[in-house]
Amino acid sequence: MPMDFDPNMEPMELLVYEDTTLLNQLDQILLDSEKSKDLSHENINEIFRIMHTIKGSAAMMGLNGISTLAHAVEDVFAIIRETPEALVGVAEQIFDLVFQASDFLKSEIESLQNTGEANEDPAEIVTELHALAAALKSGEQPEAAASAAPDAAGAASAPEAGPAEEGVYHIRVFFEDGCELENVRAFVLMTQLKDLCDELDSDPQHPETDSSLCAGIRANGFLVKCRPATSVEDICHTIESSVNVASYEVLASEKKEARAPAEQAASSTQTQAPAPAAAPPAKAGSSAQAASPAPAAARPMQSLISVNQSKLDHLMDLVGEIVTTESMVVNNPDLRGLKLDNYTKSARELRKLTDELQDVVMSMRMVPLTGVFQKMNRIVRDMCKKLGKKAELATIGGETEVDKTINEVLGDPFMHMVRNSMDHAIELPEERIAAGKPETGTITLSAQNVGGEIVITISDDGCGLNRETILRKAASNGLLMKPEEEYSDREVYGMIMLPGFSTNKEVTEFSGRGVGMDVVQKNLEKVGGSISIDSTPGKGTTFTIKIPLTLAIVDGMELVVGNTLFTLPISSIQQNLKLSDTTQLVHDSNGAEMLLTRGECLPVIRLHELYGLETKVTDLTEGILILINSGHKSACLFVDELIGEQQVVVKPFPAFFNKYPLKQIGLSGCSILGDGVISLILDAGNLLAQYN
Amino acid sequence: MASNTPRTKVNDDLVGRYLSFNIGESLYGIELQYIIEIVSMEQITVVPSLPNYILGIMNLRGKVVPVIDIRLKLNQEPRPFDEKTCIIITQIDEMQVGLIVDSVAEVLSSAQTEKMAPPDMPASGENYISSIMHFEDKVVLCLDCEKFFSSELKM
Repeated sequence: MPMDFDPNMEPMELLVYEDTTLLNQLDQILLDSEKSKDLSHENINEIFRIMHTIKGSAAMMGLNGISTLAHAVEDVFAIIRETPEALVGVAEQIFDLVFQASDFLKSEIESLQNTGEANEDPAEIVTELHALAAALKSGEQPEAAASAAPDAAGAASAPEAGPAEEGVYHIRVFFEDGCELENVRAFVLMTQLKDLCDELDSDPQHPETDSSLCAGIRANGFLVKCRPATSVEDICHTIESSVNVASYEVLASEKKEARAPAEQAASSTQTQAPAPAAAPPAKAGSSAQAASPAPAAARPMQSLISVNQSKLDHLMDLVGEIVTTESMVVNNPDLRGLKLDNYTKSARELRKLTDELQDVVMSMRMVPLTGVFQKMNRIVRDMCKKLGKKAELATIGGETEVDKTINEVLGDPFMHMVRNSMDHAIELPEERIAAGKPETGTITLSAQNVGGEIVITISDDGCGLNRETILRKAASNGLLMKPEEEYSDREVYGMIMLPGFSTNKEVTEFSGRGVGMDVVQKNLEKVGGSISIDSTPGKGTTFTIKIPLTLAIVDGMELVVGNTLFTLPISSIQQNLKLSDTTQLVHDSNGAEMLLTRGECLPVIRLHELYGLETKVTDLTEGILILINSGHKSACLFVDELIGEQQVVVKPFPAFFNKYPLKQIGLSGCSILGDGVISLILDAGNLLAQYN
Repeated sequence: MASNTPRTKVNDDLVGRYLSFNIGESLYGIELQYIIEIVSMEQITVVPSLPNYILGIMNLRGKVVPVIDIRLKLNQEPRPFDEKTCIIITQIDEMQVGLIVDSVAEVLSSAQTEKMAPPDMPASGENYISSIMHFEDKVVLCLDCEKFFSSELKM
């Protein structure tokens, strides 16, 4: 979802942005409430407010489906707000219905965003909601309503007047001085209120029939007696928003409450959003206010500002240029051999500042993973219901921040993997009990920042991967390259990432189409990530994802082969070796060189041979061997010499080269160094993928 | 894309004018509207696994630009670079590409000359020549830029 926020946004874009935010908020409230099996007053109010805002803005844009549905949900919550005890027993039903409604709204908003239209008819959900509202209302006792209302008024922050007798309210309305035709205005008001009330009466009755009543209404006000169908709030809003109303007061049995004229009162004392008709469309002042959570005490105030992402990208580019230019100035060849104490001092100062600038700009692009994690909650919940399984989602380290572009890419892979875990890994409750495991399965999402990488694990305590099943499936798909017993467990597990691989016997609604894990891997590769799998049969499976923190600037080791400069990201270097003799060297049957080190036998990649570069250094003892690893693969890279460590800005290769497979041969981009020379950036992952 | 759409207002004075350059004994021309600038020979970083005529990439004031040796692209013998060797920076489809030529000659206007279609070539060979111009005693072979870069432009 694009979350760019721009004051020049079209009203429709604004609506999409606003409603998406609100619906995510709604889901979170519902999930929390469902977990704690309780709907607090704040949450009821919050849901009411969200629906009210969505209804208002949708009605303004003529999106009838959305506004009808939002209205129906609003109705249900208006009743719940008045009589919270009616909730007992039907809570689950309500959650389900509201989740359905939320899904409907989301899909509508998505189609609105993609096609500019939203024409689905929510009739089915609306009918169910109406039925629910009716059931709630019929179960409500008059005394209960009367006794509940003060409770509600006490707990909710909205000021509420107690009903005079059995839910009948008396409201005295005064019209603006000199507005004339008070009797007609009173009639108009009555017409507006008619739909909102179960019973409606007034004093004087039928004001429209006699213009002589004007004087009386002017002096004593116009008394409305009504029994609200939903809540007295709704009545008040309608009165507030009708034209020429100067003030009104709700007369309770002994309690009087005067209210100031509409506009200011609505925004300053009400926690609830003003009626849609009163909300100015484009400025969205009122709806924005409604969107921002009202109970300020519950949430800390944040001063946030939305910036267009393209501006941040531009800023990032500029910082990259500054880093390059800085090293161009500091390492300027004109200065070579000169002793410049003061200059060096200033240069160091500059370096410190550019480092800091870089950190700040990077941090601006960082967003926490919480959002992505929260969406998974929803998936686990839905799938539990559909599959009859019991599972919980535990999240650790949701506050870990990643670059916005990475965050966006992660949503889909996560969804695939959580679905896979729910569908294939977590067993049915009875199977789990039989296996001696807790009835409720657990899927754990955890994220942490390790060095320059974000490490995310998705683990479950389900049945684990079955080596035999995978091998059989691989064999039937012709994916096996060597005898079965020669495959290590890791290699076998890695096979589920191959395109068209799915061990599930049948296609289910959620997964099993065999387009799962290879898509996951593709998506992750797009942001330079890698994935590995660990599994213990019967105990569970753990997927480990590693993603570079940011894509634009890497800490690299500069190295030379012949006349070409390469940059190898420090994160993939394990060790640098200088061989003194060749006793550690072995050759396999094909004559390929292998190096024995640390008890492992690693292939030697001669960079000059791989890339066909001319160099004088061809003897392994003359050059340098760099031990690189990525995922679970390691190898020794043979290069002429090391130059040193440097931060470089990654630039993609010119689009002119798109046709050529540079990525596959292990080159991820290029970078312009301080002295203007271009170095090629190596990608250990793809380099290693060519071996083994 | 204004730069390679002929006959836009901005490019009006560029249309029909050619930059001529030498490759060995022959004189070639490229329409001015494709040309950004001419720079002297720079250090070129070799990029592996590319066709032999793509020498690599160069740093053009902070921009990474691919460089093609026209001699190799036209299947001619390579020749060591000298002080006259230059790189013509061209732009096509928003992409900048450098072309290494033996030396640049002059700007010619097609109004001064007569144009003729290129001779029929055997269908097998690649033909990048769009027309042949006679200019006094010189013959200029005009390159068709779209065709010349077609192997990279087509995805």
